[in-house]
Amino acid sequence: MNLNQRQSFRSGQEYLRSLLFLSPFILLFFISLIQVFNLTIIQGDKYQTIAESNRIYQKTINPVRGFIYDHRGELLVENVVQRDLYVTPAYIENPNKTLLTLSDLLGLSFEGLESIYFSRALKIKNYDSFPLVKSLNEEQIAKIKVNIDLISGVEVISSLKRYVLHDQTLAHIIGYVGDISLVDIQNDNSLSEIKNSQIGKTGIEKEFDFILRGKPGYQTQERDVKGKLVRVLDTEGAKDGENIYLSIDKSLQTHLFKLFKGRKGALVALEPKTGLVRALISSPSYDPNILNSIVDSTLVEKLFDNQDSPIFNRAISGQYPPASTLKPFVGLAAIENRVISWEKKIRDNGKYFVEGDPRPYRGWKENGHGNVDMRKAIIESSDVYFYNLAYDLTLSGIKPMLENFGFGKKTGLTPFESSGLLPDKKWKLGYKGDFWFKGDTINLGIGQGYILSTPLQLAVAYSGLANKGIIYKPLFIQPSDEKTYKPEKIAHINLSDEGGWEKMEKALIDVIAARNGTAHKVFDKNSKVIAGKTGTAQIKSILPGKEYDAIRENPLLRDHALFVGYGPVNDPKLVVAVIIENGESGSEVAAPIVQSAINFYSK
Amino acid sequence: MQNKPLSFSVDIKLRKTNSKINFDFSIILTVIVLSLFGLAMIYSASGSTMLLYKQGIYFLIGMMLMFIAAISNFRKMEPIYLNGVWVGFFFLILVLILPNSGTTNRWINIGFIGFQPSELMRFLLPISAAAYLSRNPQIKFSDWLVVAITTLIAFLLVFFQPDFGTSAIVLLSGLVPIVLSGMPWPYIFYSFLAGLAVLPFLWMSLLDYQRERVFTFFSPDTDILGSGWNIAQSKIAIGSGQFLGKGFSEGSQSQLDFIPESHTDFIFAVIVEEFGFLGALILFLLYAFLIHRLLFVARMSNSKFAKLVAGTLSIILAAYVTLNISMVVGIFPVVGMPLPFISQGGTALVVNMITIGIILSLRRIN
Repeated sequence: MNLNQRQSFRSGQEYLRSLLFLSPFILLFFISLIQVFNLTIIQGDKYQTIAESNRIYQKTINPVRGFIYDHRGELLVENVVQRDLYVTPAYIENPNKTLLTLSDLLGLSFEGLESIYFSRALKIKNYDSFPLVKSLNEEQIAKIKVNIDLISGVEVISSLKRYVLHDQTLAHIIGYVGDISLVDIQNDNSLSEIKNSQIGKTGIEKEFDFILRGKPGYQTQERDVKGKLVRVLDTEGAKDGENIYLSIDKSLQTHLFKLFKGRKGALVALEPKTGLVRALISSPSYDPNILNSIVDSTLVEKLFDNQDSPIFNRAISGQYPPASTLKPFVGLAAIENRVISWEKKIRDNGKYFVEGDPRPYRGWKENGHGNVDMRKAIIESSDVYFYNLAYDLTLSGIKPMLENFGFGKKTGLTPFESSGLLPDKKWKLGYKGDFWFKGDTINLGIGQGYILSTPLQLAVAYSGLANKGIIYKPLFIQPSDEKTYKPEKIAHINLSDEGGWEKMEKALIDVIAARNGTAHKVFDKNSKVIAGKTGTAQIKSILPGKEYDAIRENPLLRDHALFVGYGPVNDPKLVVAVIIENGESGSEVAAPIVQSAINFYSK
Repeated sequence: MQNKPLSFSVDIKLRKTNSKINFDFSIILTVIVLSLFGLAMIYSASGSTMLLYKQGIYFLIGMMLMFIAAISNFRKMEPIYLNGVWVGFFFLILVLILPNSGTTNRWINIGFIGFQPSELMRFLLPISAAAYLSRNPQIKFSDWLVVAITTLIAFLLVFFQPDFGTSAIVLLSGLVPIVLSGMPWPYIFYSFLAGLAVLPFLWMSLLDYQRERVFTFFSPDTDILGSGWNIAQSKIAIGSGQFLGKGFSEGSQSQLDFIPESHTDFIFAVIVEEFGFLGALILFLLYAFLIHRLLFVARMSNSKFAKLVAGTLSIILAAYVTLNISMVVGIFPVVGMPLPFISQGGTALVVNMITIGIILSLRRIN
């Protein structure tokens, strides 16, 4: 190369041509610098926040739900360890592949996992997770643990499962827990913080959820892009739920539950002097653990589809005609209103007529009980006697006394109980669109017609008889010290003749003790002395003629059998109301249970 | 015409050849600083000492080759440079023939080390082109055509590996010498139009994932967990670095693997996350200074060959730096190219250092 050659190469041209190529890069270079400035300085705070939310994960630590004990400290409900498979959709790139792997490992159907996954994954926000498979067994856990590196977004989380002891015995008292639904969150926004835990759905679990639940804690974790825990940054412990001691007596409850033998019915047993509920049964029952941790949804469907409604709490929500068990209250109303005296006799020939109505009101005994006074009318359960009293009392004479004893309103035991029905003129016009007839009053006199009460209401009303007018609010929670406990009085009924209480009690004792008593069949000289009353609630009103035998053909239309009583009468320890649906005879099926309850409890 | 002594330069007298080399030590120093910083960042981003040692070995090899290239007499090397392109083609064809792993044919493995023929080509092609174009005093039109066709073949070989980013660089590395060597403007203009006409065909021959990258670029935030994830996470890392950064090895985005390819293509995001805007600014200045010095060598060179080689290699380096950074900061599609001297990758580091060595050798004083 010589000098000329070099000179022919014009450096100016070359410089210009270099710039042709360089200019876009110079431009990009400066735009990049501006962009870095924009990202770091102008939007730095925003990106700092995003970077933090990328790595920081707030994990809720669920509190341990409080245990439930009976009044003697016997464990009724505890928590047992359960291992669930949780998935975090944000870390799962290919759900189908992950689900296929999981279905292989766990031996579960792909379709089942798929439907659970996609029904929940779409509602999940950010890096939230949810349980895909509950209650893994040991083999499944082992397989997941070995393969955990192959499947991202999946982890086995141990949690505590609610476990109710004693099978079905306590189902309706305790109730069950369940996942928090969207409706629950709408009602109580604070639940959104503990989305993956459970809350009480019925019974004590629901009513005292705020005590049992506790407060969640939080763990601030740092996680990598695959969701693997890198380190724990901060932990704020959970505050565990508190234990609850119920007034229930476990041994009494178990003893009585067996006596039901699965028959439909209910029982409420409470201490008249304190209102403390010692046993509460609704039969048939169910195993609440099926609902506490739903592993097999077909079992749950079966439970809810069951014709006998085992989930339904008959003891507090079942509304039945009180039938003859109402007679003592009607009797007391009649004495108080001076429409009759204790001694005055009324002729009972089995039929009662109201003027202008050709239809006779029949007594349960075809030819009647002859001349009956109050005592005999209670012992033999004369209907005609009480038809007479009701007619003379009129509705306005009966209703205040029944109201005093708590009919037609909630007892205050739980917010979930029914209030029963104490009918009056206004109610009938409103609900039936008809006027109140004399016949309605006459039916009310023997606890039939429109009146409805729950087994709980009957037990509470009879505690008023046991306490000679004083009724205490029924209670599920055991007071810390029973001796100094001052129960809440909800009614104090005064009779103008204080001796009336004893006279009524004597009659009620003779229901069992006297030879002509309707429940004399259960008489046992070794038993504690019990005051009580039988009842036979008609489901279908019988028209003239002997049609009941025809009705009997359908077991579901047979009369309900009732017995309500308290004892031992010298120092009443327990008042018990029992109803056996379609049990027909109160003395044969209901009274023995009441007797057994009182004898068992006052041993 | 004698060279003016360069600032920051040192004269080294070579014993055997009795000639002097005028080294620009500022260039060497900048390269060493960048490479060592790169080693540190690779360690921070990957947390792997294995990768660090591997890259460290490449750095030492690169240093050695850089000095050999720097002290060699480029005039005597010209015949070798002229035929370098054949070596490049040999490997490019070899990589296509050899059984491939996965969907791309980019690597040749010799024992435990692997290298990318495309990286080699984008360095051999411009040197051969420069040598070819400056072998006669007067450049004939056919010379440009030969270079253009050679470039096109090299480009297509890389393009169908497929390697979108490097193929563009290979194309550039062939076109720059043509234009710099004084091809008349009308030819340049018509060639440009012809190139535009071919673009739709290239677009159609792109693979789905490459097209998706282009689409992703235009709407990176639409689906943050999907295809725009890489860019979105990279921007989060950069932004969260703020002014001073989170400190070495303290970047949560990189340490917790939120940044994809954090020790290779996206290493710039790690740098900004851990050293902030200030760190980025210093890095920008280092690159600007390096490229400026390299271009200065080209300008001061007294031979056509030296000017073409120094100019082209500097422009290619500038292209790498700016395209990588603008990709990482989200103003350019993700094309997959490393950040020179810093990204993990042995071939690129060694080639870049030899490039520097060659440019240094062009400052020879007879």
